[in-house]
Amino acid sequence: MAIASINEQLLRAVGVGIALFDGKSGNLQFCNDVFGEWFDDAGPGVAIQALFPELDFAELKARIDAGGRHSGELSFRRNRRTLVLAQIISQATVGDESVYVMECQNITRIRELESMLASYSKMVERNTREIQKEKDQVEELLLNILPRGAYDEYKSFGVITPKRYEDASVLVLDFVGFTKMAEQLAPANLVSELNELYTAFDQIGEQLGCERIKTNGDTYFCIAGLEDSELDHRASIIKTASLYRQFLKKRNENSEVDWVCRIGLGSGAVIGSVVGVKKYVFDVFGPAVSDAVAANTVAGDFEIIATDAFAAEGSHATQFAPSNSGMKVLIAD
Amino acid sequence: MANSLFEKYGGFSTIHSIVIEFYNSVLDSDVVGPFFDGTDMESLIDHQTKFISFLLGGPVSYPEAKLKAAHSNLDIQSPHFDTIKSLLGETLTAFDVEEADIEAVLEKIETYRTVIAA
Ligand code: HEM
Repeated sequence: MAIASINEQLLRAVGVGIALFDGKSGNLQFCNDVFGEWFDDAGPGVAIQALFPELDFAELKARIDAGGRHSGELSFRRNRRTLVLAQIISQATVGDESVYVMECQNITRIRELESMLASYSKMVERNTREIQKEKDQVEELLLNILPRGAYDEYKSFGVITPKRYEDASVLVLDFVGFTKMAEQLAPANLVSELNELYTAFDQIGEQLGCERIKTNGDTYFCIAGLEDSELDHRASIIKTASLYRQFLKKRNENSEVDWVCRIGLGSGAVIGSVVGVKKYVFDVFGPAVSDAVAANTVAGDFEIIATDAFAAEGSHATQFAPSNSGMKVLIAD
Repeated sequence: MANSLFEKYGGFSTIHSIVIEFYNSVLDSDVVGPFFDGTDMESLIDHQTKFISFLLGGPVSYPEAKLKAAHSNLDIQSPHFDTIKSLLGETLTAFDVEEADIEAVLEKIETYRTVIAA
């Protein structure tokens, strides 16, 4: 059979790989150079199964002779690369002979780009997740040392300006005989006890609008009234102090270590600020803090002591009684 | 990340051509090509994507230990590393990356010589 030379030239010129197979035997009649470059064994008379072992010729023949066409994708290694070809086989008639026309298009580059895109987007997704995780960790750390308001300011503006709060309440708690306990308990034991106590204090305080500012050995500072101007911070701090006291008494019933607290309360103006350049901490200063410290130093076992000024403000006066320290003692329980 | 070479040269939409070019030159090299003889196309593309992105400061980072583990049983020697390095330089030159930037990338890859090559 003859292919008009113009047709042959055309088939040679296209970028698609073209091969013609005899419709009866399935043997190769013609292929263009593109096709020949992909299949070293392609030469006239070679059986289609020799070139494509995965093709079932009988099944293919039945389908194509019934007017259908075959399309598929095949991939193979060549020069370390994986070539991916899209293959279409259809039927044509030349003279009165049936010819199977196979077109192969090189889609390797498309597959490579798809792979690259998949690889890249996975990389980006992972990176985004990692960055988010890091951010969360930093936020958690910062929230440990900064009140939420200061943290938000830091996040928005990159700085935390010292701020004066006209009226807030401060609680200072320490433990009686701590120095002695520090000598007697194993260090790990001491730290885990303190950790447990402070965590419980944090949780109790949080319910009532009190925030821990810092701890210093056995001294625990918290404050109410920084974030929420509507809060009756004196009432909150009184309630918090009573609950700390109750919590410790209850805990002591079943605990090997007895913790006896002294609590001082103060109120008034405070300045809140981040102190330090590298290892900064949020801290508060001012009359309310000094008052609370002063009250703490005169408190007896399990006593809650407040300055006169604290006791006189607001509606809490009746909860306090005079004490021999010159300050006021809260009638607890 | 804003000032990375990855961003400077147009992000992934342009970097992907560099990846393909580098992928081709590595495969055509008889020195380093054989390392990838048994690697399927997806893994290979994955490698070159990560490789280029990493060196150009794209959205990926690898701790040394991880890179070491990924290459420790491949028997990559210093000459192999040299080849990869010069192919990278050639590829970047072909894409009109500025001289100073190429130098910076080659300096960066050099710091991984003892991590990658035995
Ligand atoms: C700083 C330079 C390089 C970087 C950043 C790098 C990056 C990587 C990464 C991330 C992987 C792990 C892929 C994964 O599973 O996620 C890997 C694997 C691999 N690397 Fe590299 N590579 C570097 C240099 C080289 C060199 C110089 C060669 C060879 C000459 C090489 C050959 C390989 C091979 C063969 C694998 C295993 C691929 C596989 O079979 O999946 N790499 N590389």
